[in-house]
Amino acid sequence: MDLFLQALINGVMLGGFYAAMMLGFSVIWGVMGVINLAHGEMIMVGAYLSWLLNEHVGMDPFVSLLIVMPVMFVIGYILQLVLINRVVDRPILVSLLVTFGLSIAISNLVNVIFTADPRLTDTALEGAWSVGNVTFPVTKTAIMGVALVIMTSLWLFLQKTRTGKSIRAAAQNKQAARIVGIDINKIYALTFGICIAITGAAGAIISPTQAIFPFMGVPLTLRAFTITALAGLGSIPGALFGGIVLGIVESMIGIYVSGIGTNLAIIASFVLLVVILITRPQGLFGGLRPIEEPVQL
Amino acid sequence: MWSLILVLVLVAAACGSDTTETTEGSAAPATTQPAATDDTTSEETTPTETTEAMEEPMFAGTIVLGAAVSDTGKYAREGQDTRQGYDLWLDWVNHEYGGIAIGDDRYEVEIVYYDDEGDPDTAASLVERLVTEDEVDFLLGPYSSGLTMSTSAIAEKYNVIMVEGNGASESIFERGFKNIFAVLTPAGNYTQSALKSLADLGATTVVIAYEDTAFPTSVATGAQKWAEEYGYEVLAFESYPLDTPDVSNIITNFKNLDPDVFVGGGHFNDALLFVRAAKEQGWTPDAMVITVGPSNPDFAAEVGVDANYIMGPTQWERTMSWEDEWFGTAEDYALRYEALWGEPPSYQAAESTATALSLHLAIEAAGSIDTDAVRQALYDLDILTFYGPINFDDTGKNAGKPMGAIQIQDGVVNVVAPAEASVADVMYPMLPWDQR
Repeated sequence: MDLFLQALINGVMLGGFYAAMMLGFSVIWGVMGVINLAHGEMIMVGAYLSWLLNEHVGMDPFVSLLIVMPVMFVIGYILQLVLINRVVDRPILVSLLVTFGLSIAISNLVNVIFTADPRLTDTALEGAWSVGNVTFPVTKTAIMGVALVIMTSLWLFLQKTRTGKSIRAAAQNKQAARIVGIDINKIYALTFGICIAITGAAGAIISPTQAIFPFMGVPLTLRAFTITALAGLGSIPGALFGGIVLGIVESMIGIYVSGIGTNLAIIASFVLLVVILITRPQGLFGGLRPIEEPVQL
Repeated sequence: MWSLILVLVLVAAACGSDTTETTEGSAAPATTQPAATDDTTSEETTPTETTEAMEEPMFAGTIVLGAAVSDTGKYAREGQDTRQGYDLWLDWVNHEYGGIAIGDDRYEVEIVYYDDEGDPDTAASLVERLVTEDEVDFLLGPYSSGLTMSTSAIAEKYNVIMVEGNGASESIFERGFKNIFAVLTPAGNYTQSALKSLADLGATTVVIAYEDTAFPTSVATGAQKWAEEYGYEVLAFESYPLDTPDVSNIITNFKNLDPDVFVGGGHFNDALLFVRAAKEQGWTPDAMVITVGPSNPDFAAEVGVDANYIMGPTQWERTMSWEDEWFGTAEDYALRYEALWGEPPSYQAAESTATALSLHLAIEAAGSIDTDAVRQALYDLDILTFYGPINFDDTGKNAGKPMGAIQIQDGVVNVVAPAEASVADVMYPMLPWDQR
């Protein structure tokens, strides 16, 4: 029973990590239809910012969010205005190529600036709480907590505020949104800025658990892609639920199958993805995008 | 709509896998200028000529060696160490030693370098060029198992001897090649010294986790073999995929098995994940032996106090007690290296110098540069160097050299095994994480 509980806790914590990491990717895809292949690199940049503050000012990565998020917002806003806006209406392949190029440029730029030496941040939130034989990792619980706060805030922002409603309107039908007077370029830049800020925040909070190095982004982008497809584009409850489902599936298989469990878990997660794509192509929770594209005028 | 999503997934997946390869190849294509032969050799020979004028040793001729080593790409750093190791030997053999002695004559040495960009295919075509166009007499190895794998096939095709010091994977030596020799300890023996010293301290059970790629698999299979040899009971043998972000489940299982020794095979990030996961779950085995990470000074610097007690294999450390008549002790070598390059030597640099030195000694023993004679001399070679014993077996692996083991003790990387090379005793068992 202890083992089962521990597997469950490991799974939920892994799910929190996944959800925090893929949220920005999911919303950008959902609102703008852009698959951001530089997503992992944005996580990496956020992690490096957090490391700089940790190394030189001694700031805790969880506190550094206060600086990392605004900085990343500005980076995202500018990137959207200068680069992404020019390709957002073009075929999907163009934006794939642009963000792919961006990912190569960013990772190599960081490689030149910081070298390939792996870095790590220190946090005061470390160690473990034990209840009987079951342990709760403190850092991962904190990551889960921050992820929940960010998700709830984003959800409230999208549901309750005027700007949030504009973003959802732009996601659902761009033409109609334009007709009712929404400045699409501004909304897109805002969306991209917010999502990059969230993505950078994910980089900052996972920095105590992973080595930070210039080429860490690619596997994270792939994982974000999987969970987004599983959960539904831009769906916030879906991100959380999809992340946790995947985390628990991986954890259970990892613990109960010996020898090859961790490998088998990855296979299982992709089998799950294929099944979902065949049976529910809009993802488990639907999302910001309508199931059928509206007929463009 | 369904089909559209599926197509998108396929496109993005294809792009994603491209990303992996291309970003790892990194800036290479943009910045690459294949290091022009003329430039490199003139750089190498200019000082030689000056010294010649002063000391006037009469060289009877020139022996030309060739190497494709990364100057750009993902192995740029290690490639630089490799070149610096070769060049240290080159500087020494031409200026101090007076050239390679064949009979009564002395031969000057040149090394022709190309930049392989960290790509196995590029490396192979450059080595082909070294052999066919530059007509080098012998080849020195590139950095990494993968590049050694591809270039040694070219060496075999043209029947040119390649001596290498930076490809440890056993698969390199399992192809029946006659022209590949390696001075470094093969991957299967990485954990031997550590497991032996821990067995002597009373450890009896072990668990092994490894990334399922070529090198860690070799390390783990070897660890299993040596563990059984030293009387351990192997309680678990777990593989995990490349780029895994979390190893909590492996650690949860291991905690329940309660082994004395944990062996982890993987890369730097894996070492970090294992240490963090063990701490998170409050699990302290009596010893943790992890490849790649701990021997890198960055590891202790970044991980801090949690890095203490962690053990790892090492090919060479400057504190080892090896000594020879050419470069003196390991520390003498390190000082010479620092004087020449202004930074301390990594083990990649030391093994590169040892690579060139063993080829040099084999040529002298053979008394000619004839391929068959030098090959026989390499097989017969049995020497002790600043880098450790060198004695090639039938497949070209260095059967003579034990792998060292280090342990991080108060933030310092100390050699703890084998006994003849160690500077400190193993601290055993590990202190629990919260009592540091």
